[in-house]
Amino acid sequence: MNVWRDIKGTVQPFWVTLRNMFRRPVTIQYPEEKRVPPPRYRARIILTRDPDGGERCVACYLCSAACPVDCISMQSAEAPDGRRYAAWFRINFSRCIYCGLCAEACPTWAIQMSPDYEFSKYATLDMVYEKEDLLVDHGGKDNEYNYYRHAGIGVVNPRGGNEDEAPPVDVRTNLP
Amino acid sequence: MPTITIDNQRVTVPEGTNVLEAAKKLGIVIPHFCYHEALGAVGACRLCAMTFLEGSDKGPKLKGVHMSCMVTARDGMVVSTLDEESADLRRHVIEWLMMNHPHDCPVCDEGGECQLQDMTVAGGHGIRRYRGLKKTYVNQDLGPFISHEMNRCIQCYRCVRTYQDYCGGTDFGVLGCNQRIYFGRFRDGTLQSPFSGNIVDACPTGVFTDRTYRFRARPWDLEEAPSVCPHCSLGCAVIPGARYRELQRVRAGVNAKTNGFFICDQGRFGYGHANRPDRPRSPRLGEREVSWPEALGALRRELEIIIAEHGSQAVAFLGSSRASLESNAQLLELARFFGSENFALEIDPERDRAARTTAALLGECARSQEEVRRSDFVLLVGADPLNEGPMMALAVRQAVRAGGSAALIDPRPVELPFAATHLPLSPQNLPEVLKALAEERFERFSARERTVLAGISARIKEAKRPVLIGGGNLLGSSGAQLLIEAARAFSRGDRACGAALLLAGPNSFGSALLAAQSPGPDRLLAQMQEGRIRALLCLESDPFADHPEPGRARMALSRLKLLAALDYLPTETARRCDIFLPTTAPAESAGTYVNFEGRMLPFGSVFDPGVPIQITGGGDHPPRSFEAHTPGSLPRPAWAALAALRGDSLSLAHIRRNLQRSDARFAGLAELEEGGEGRRVNGAGQMPGHGPELPKHPSAEGALRLVVTECLFGSETIASFSPVLDPVRPAPVVRLHVEDGVRLGIHDGEKVRLRTELGDLAVEVRLCEAMAPGIVVLPRLRQGEWEIFVPGVHRDCILQKEGG
Ligand code: SF4
Ligand code: SF4
Ligand code: SF4
Ligand code: SF4
Ligand code: FES
Repeated sequence: MNVWRDIKGTVQPFWVTLRNMFRRPVTIQYPEEKRVPPPRYRARIILTRDPDGGERCVACYLCSAACPVDCISMQSAEAPDGRRYAAWFRINFSRCIYCGLCAEACPTWAIQMSPDYEFSKYATLDMVYEKEDLLVDHGGKDNEYNYYRHAGIGVVNPRGGNEDEAPPVDVRTNLP
Repeated sequence: MPTITIDNQRVTVPEGTNVLEAAKKLGIVIPHFCYHEALGAVGACRLCAMTFLEGSDKGPKLKGVHMSCMVTARDGMVVSTLDEESADLRRHVIEWLMMNHPHDCPVCDEGGECQLQDMTVAGGHGIRRYRGLKKTYVNQDLGPFISHEMNRCIQCYRCVRTYQDYCGGTDFGVLGCNQRIYFGRFRDGTLQSPFSGNIVDACPTGVFTDRTYRFRARPWDLEEAPSVCPHCSLGCAVIPGARYRELQRVRAGVNAKTNGFFICDQGRFGYGHANRPDRPRSPRLGEREVSWPEALGALRRELEIIIAEHGSQAVAFLGSSRASLESNAQLLELARFFGSENFALEIDPERDRAARTTAALLGECARSQEEVRRSDFVLLVGADPLNEGPMMALAVRQAVRAGGSAALIDPRPVELPFAATHLPLSPQNLPEVLKALAEERFERFSARERTVLAGISARIKEAKRPVLIGGGNLLGSSGAQLLIEAARAFSRGDRACGAALLLAGPNSFGSALLAAQSPGPDRLLAQMQEGRIRALLCLESDPFADHPEPGRARMALSRLKLLAALDYLPTETARRCDIFLPTTAPAESAGTYVNFEGRMLPFGSVFDPGVPIQITGGGDHPPRSFEAHTPGSLPRPAWAALAALRGDSLSLAHIRRNLQRSDARFAGLAELEEGGEGRRVNGAGQMPGHGPELPKHPSAEGALRLVVTECLFGSETIASFSPVLDPVRPAPVVRLHVEDGVRLGIHDGEKVRLRTELGDLAVEVRLCEAMAPGIVVLPRLRQGEWEIFVPGVHRDCILQKEGG
């Protein structure tokens, strides 16, 4: 019974090889020729900006918590206008495995994977990126979202001025 | 003891337990917000719903869905938590609570330890279905400690119940009505209660968060360990949290025998000492920073040279009440090693005697904070709990709230977070009044005083669980002795009267137990003055700043050939000593404190010492260089450094085992669990020798007695080195009785000159009614000129009008 399976198993690989011998080769002449990865390709990480040009990252530590290899570190701080932001933000790319979990965890669309896969250095320390190195001046895959237009702490909009918010209540009134 | 059935499991609980607690006992945790063990149930959040299938055998028949926190467990009840009806209600309640909730988790400091987050996730609620507008509120600036973000409130009332009911604060509460309930201060401004930080722990959401820790870290990144508060003698349980080599916050730990669930703001916000940029972190010979082996070698050599020249008694050892039991024990071990009998474990002579008297006599009279909370009459004598042991004030408050009463005999205008009869008597009358109370002879007092004292004495006799609380600073050793004797005199066969003494430091009691053979700091100082002691080794002690006669101490210290110090604070002694060894701050080291009642409380190390990244990076990212060594990681636990001086390397467990083997009073120390309830020492200390007679008062015509008192946020050594507390340091004002003010022609708020034998001081005067006449109350402040006034000495002073 198994004889047929075995024969098929022996012949089929030869057939596959034979068939591919007449196909065009997929190898390209990198680096002269470059492949364009799809937009959702997971390579070098960037920190994006909101449509108003502000840093999107609110230093919530979710990406660093999600990162399975612990290569993200940062320090959150408070700006004079109450904005929470990253005083510094560091990714050690020599440890990063480009799994994309950080981008998935990010509630503000700040951290995103970019398709820039050409990423190698001679020195390990050069693979350690600081905030300046990570920040780009666009919104990456989403150019619309601004987290602070939705958060209740009123940094961009006045308190109670978000789309889904009512103006602040008057605590002292007795009216129903 | 009712037995009830929850989800087909039977459980027997003590009378009065609610069903929510009973379920918890079975390991069934039902989401809830408003119920809190220390605050009780109010049924505000509507989340703890359970279905009651069978009512109780006795009492009203309860059926259907009810809030389990509001139902007392009764025999025969059958309850289901899994029933579809109540599970569905809980799911909906969570969704309703989230209807107005802002989109804040990423920028909310509660995130990661938020009960609301947990319950929302547990309830399976993810998408907001309600499309209406969200309610918003304007926040208040509540001062340097607390951030306010009212939009996140779920109306559980825990904050008010903590702030008003438990802590006795009056400036904060619930406002508004209808859909506009607001939790905040009645008027904008800083929260006034010295227990305000507790609303951060109590609030299950991010409405109140620790402002000193604002946007610093997430709980999952913090290094935390159960620890013991080092800021006073009560030994409250705390949980410090550190990250990136920086101590970032402290929250309350739970210890039923000490603090319960809450702590005071000094314990919570006194943490900044560990992160100071000027904290000494390297061993030093003179000005030169050296390695540990070099420093230890040099210190040992120097000590040996002095011993060879002048004999072993020429080296002295000074421990302290802020060093752990193990460190002090190792200091003794070291003294023994060098053959010296000259040691003291506290620099202030009267505090030393008071602590040793307490440790010698307290015995079975000792009462814990828990026992004070359950007492029905508390008499405070010469004790100012808010300033000398803040949580004790709350313990007494709980006793009063539960129907007990309290009275206070104290010369000072003492603020208390509860109602108490105050009898202001002058400091020299306090011993007399204790004697009089014990013997019930009040003839020597004025008519009014007699009435109050007779009332107090009657109440003590009626009470079932009376406690006398004294303050070691004002009573001194003789007063402490009289207080404990009075407690014994009030004890009868059917019930005992307890006593408690507020001592100076977290380990005062432990040091006092060890100090049995100590000649006392007075003898040490005298011998230093005479030139018989040539070398002094200070363990986390600052004789320059803490001796009540600073001039004399300075003189004596200047005669030393060698002054060596171990410390983690940049004290004057640490700066001026010849050889310096850096030790770990309390949160960085493990050890044991023995608190005011003689309870051994071990604590664990929270994080390893090192210069915080905040400092090495200058606020920006950490330096881009990688080394094998952590900068500033040299501090060692004092007990390890002291053992190393003898050429020994002992683990803490080893030290504890040795200690309990050689001294039966510390039995069980090695087995105690960090973060546990601790255990009272098993045995007493030894009485110290007598102190000098109190000077008669007034010694000069027109003189007033100067009473220097501890004050919250200003006096305690470790907290005084915490910049976090800088915004709330007490104002430098002295207080004077109105009558004296009239007599001397001094008005309230007037600036006058205070003349003492220590020196003059320009002071602002507050006139008070509720204090004894003939005294000037001056706060102990560790700043500038005020520093020379240390509690514990009785001296005269004169107030002179400026230009007069
Ligand atoms: S998850 Fe996003 S917003 Fe949060 S710290 Fe990371 S990049 Fe910043
Ligand atoms: S209170 Fe809790 S649920 Fe609300 S924003 Fe803060 S972390 Fe999120
Ligand atoms: S502020 Fe916090 S503790 Fe107070 S009612 Fe609101 S959620 Fe509860
Ligand atoms: S009462 Fe004393 S031990 Fe308790 S938290 Fe306050 S300072 Fe610390
Ligand atoms: S815990 Fe029972 S109603 Fe809130």
